[in-house]
Amino acid sequence: MTSRTVITGIGVVAPNGVGADAFWKATQSGLSVLDRVTRAGCEHLPLRVAGEVRGFDPGAMVEDRFLVQTDRFTHHALAAADLALEDARLGRADYEGDPFSVGVVTAAGSGGGEFGQRELQHLWEQGPRFVGPYQSIAWFYAASTGQISIRRGLKGPCGVVASDEAGGLDAFAHAARAIRQGSRAMLVGATEAPLAPYSIVCQLEYEGLSTGEDPERAYRPFTDKACGFVPAEGGAMFVVEDEDEARRRGATVRAVLAGHAATFTGTRRRDVSGEGLAHAIRGALREADCAPEEIDVVFADAIGTPEADAAEAAAIADALGAYGRKVPVTAPKSGTGRAYCAAPALDTAAAVLALEHGVVPPTPNVYDVCHDLDVVTGSARAAELRTALVLSRGRMGSNAALVVRKGA
Amino acid sequence: MGAAPGPHGSGLVTPRRVAVTGVGVVAPGGIGVRDFWDLLSNGRTATRGITLFDPTGFRSRIAAEVDFDPAAHGLEPGEADRADRYIQFALVAAREAVKDAGLDLTTDEAWRTGVSLGTAVGGTTRLEHDYVAVSQSGSWWDVDHKRAGPFLHRAFTPATLASAVAEQTGARGPVQTVSTGCTSGLDAIGYAVHSIAEGRMDVCIAGASDSPISPITVACFDAIKATSPNNDDPAHASRPFDADRDGFVLGEGGAVLVLEELEHARARGATVYCEIGGYATFGNAHHMTGLTAEGLEMARAIETALAQAGVAADEIDYVNAHGSGTKQNDRHETAAVKRVLGDHAYKTPMTSIKSMVGHSLGAIGAIELAACVLAMTHQVVPPTANYETPDPECDLDYVPRVARARKLSSVLSVGSGFGGFQSAVVMTRPKEMVS
Amino acid sequence: MSDRLTLEELAALMKKAGITVDPTELASRPHSAFDEYGLDSLGLLGIVGELENRRGRALPTHADRCKTPGEFLDLVNHSLMTGA
Repeated sequence: MTSRTVITGIGVVAPNGVGADAFWKATQSGLSVLDRVTRAGCEHLPLRVAGEVRGFDPGAMVEDRFLVQTDRFTHHALAAADLALEDARLGRADYEGDPFSVGVVTAAGSGGGEFGQRELQHLWEQGPRFVGPYQSIAWFYAASTGQISIRRGLKGPCGVVASDEAGGLDAFAHAARAIRQGSRAMLVGATEAPLAPYSIVCQLEYEGLSTGEDPERAYRPFTDKACGFVPAEGGAMFVVEDEDEARRRGATVRAVLAGHAATFTGTRRRDVSGEGLAHAIRGALREADCAPEEIDVVFADAIGTPEADAAEAAAIADALGAYGRKVPVTAPKSGTGRAYCAAPALDTAAAVLALEHGVVPPTPNVYDVCHDLDVVTGSARAAELRTALVLSRGRMGSNAALVVRKGA
Repeated sequence: MGAAPGPHGSGLVTPRRVAVTGVGVVAPGGIGVRDFWDLLSNGRTATRGITLFDPTGFRSRIAAEVDFDPAAHGLEPGEADRADRYIQFALVAAREAVKDAGLDLTTDEAWRTGVSLGTAVGGTTRLEHDYVAVSQSGSWWDVDHKRAGPFLHRAFTPATLASAVAEQTGARGPVQTVSTGCTSGLDAIGYAVHSIAEGRMDVCIAGASDSPISPITVACFDAIKATSPNNDDPAHASRPFDADRDGFVLGEGGAVLVLEELEHARARGATVYCEIGGYATFGNAHHMTGLTAEGLEMARAIETALAQAGVAADEIDYVNAHGSGTKQNDRHETAAVKRVLGDHAYKTPMTSIKSMVGHSLGAIGAIELAACVLAMTHQVVPPTANYETPDPECDLDYVPRVARARKLSSVLSVGSGFGGFQSAVVMTRPKEMVS
Repeated sequence: MSDRLTLEELAALMKKAGITVDPTELASRPHSAFDEYGLDSLGLLGIVGELENRRGRALPTHADRCKTPGEFLDLVNHSLMTGA
């Protein structure tokens, strides 16, 4: 018994592409899709630039009866879950004999904000009788896990991490634990849709939110022009499985979830997040039984404020030692935006694809790096990649690290 | 991820046991463990007409509210402004629990101490309050950000819950907020139990909190007729398992347990109230709000939790029910419990404290586990208040209205949540404490 | 306002619950369960709420427990006609 948890399916709904192939093509090309916010009712707000998911028609992928009772963040989740299951070639016939063997864990940091705003409007403009029956199941953070479980008949362990950004990595730890405890497979990941008018208002005091006007300059982490991050929507779902079960059914092992750890350093000072992040990296390496030099690429958190970027650079140097200055570091999210809990899920998708292709994707819009890091800028860099480290920190003080190893 | 020792199953390497060493509660009718237990053990109800807002025009106008004065419970004015009501509950409950446990986090220990807290609807009360301002009472879709109050981002982000408690207690290990609807409390504590058992942390501040009594949440349950419309008799409106039950009564509150690896607790001479030996959750994959008549998925959760705890079904001495008081819930869980406990179910008291403190959504699972700890400590089963008329579909011993002394060694608590979540937790008293 | 609920209006209401059904199909199978059309309990609750708002009056409390379109139409129209 190896007890390893492996990734066998990836489903992506991202600002730069729907489906893992389209996402990878855009990601490795270094294309930035950051653009002016165009969602209805948002144009007048001080948030000018975001990563919107535009090339996605939920009706083409999800039945109307699910769409009417769910928010956009759940539309993203349902579609991404389908794509992941399809990629893993895991169908209902594989688990309907034992539906308790497959569960769902999502991370959600903002919930069904657009749906919630619409029903709040019904309530306050027209009265309580005008609130519809789906408000009770669409706004809350658990909507996506519940609907995926129902739509796909998955009765295994079901969970929801409603944490800050780092929760997107913690969800993998939940899924891996469920596998260790006997589940055959888990759908895991995160999607967000925080670009509704009131949801944006709620983010404006988020320290580090960039209100830059120019899509090419609004989010430039690790540079001396760093002025915060740009938010985004979308996300990624994965099928993870017990390695033996996956091989038994002939699934392709795309990557191994090798190690995870999380710490907390509070909300008050970004600079101390470095200490917590370093601690998390060491924990994840220990669990993965991985030496610092084995890390071939780091997918950075890249908050994009000078203090937070400095703290991240310090954490990498602290945890990886002198090698921290040599390891390729990338932050493809500078071209798509930072989709809260879904940001590290998208980074994990990019990490797996990078391992498979032997290519480190670049960090769009970033040219002059002012930290002692080898940030991959401009164009993608070919390299032999066996192990990737994905980092995430949340506004509420969490830090997490995930080690992913190449499959097969 | 690697082969860390699991809490159950094959390949298990010396399982770490998880003890409860501290309890804190903020419940309607009972702030603090002593007053909470006084309410439960005397079978009093804390349900009443809503006072937190004017409920005119709503179908259900009743709730179990906490008469809460932040200053009286040690919250500084600035702290109280920053923290939403549900976070205030959690801060007060956590302070009580940590003090009860006599926990002192040194720097080294802080990295091995986590926080796991659940909430179903998080900061929706403040979100709604500020929404009214920025939308001119719902007139505008394109809201005016200049009318927003401070701290709105903290209300928008549910992670604020666990973060605020971690900052208060000094925990630096894994800190997470869990949101699985009405099983959030059981699940947050269950995850903590598994994390400690696996060795990811030694101590965890675990629990849940919710303050959902606001127009939007009352309206959303009105819309699906889930809440009781018995506005004329609020004190008797929450009637779990009674033939005349007509929905749940919304509540609010929070509870926090200090969970600790057993040897860690013993080494520092802490009082061990009980152990949590088993936890499991499954999805029913059936319906976001609907439950099956058979309760197969909850039964599966109960069986799995019992197996983890090494407790046989006929060793359960008390079932702390979800018992929300909706027609379908009480039937569903009666069926689930009978499916696992068999004939033993008829000999086992099963009660719902929601009859007294209402249904505080994500918080209630933690409040119910706090009640289980106290029930074991006092060796008393809290009653189901308002239970009068038996329902042929609910034919177990629901301990009507009056608490009952009973030897309690192993206790089961169950919960169901919107989204299909079905969870179960098994608590035991260490054998050396029982004899 | 006590205008009758027609199959066309019911079909339009079901559409808002994400169920596309032709009124002629409802007419030909009035006693097929809502379940078979794909409409669940929340969907029917939403239809009842919407109708109550449109007509400005309450429907019988058991309207949301009707099993079929035929049963629902009969109940609603009886209620609207008699004012009960």
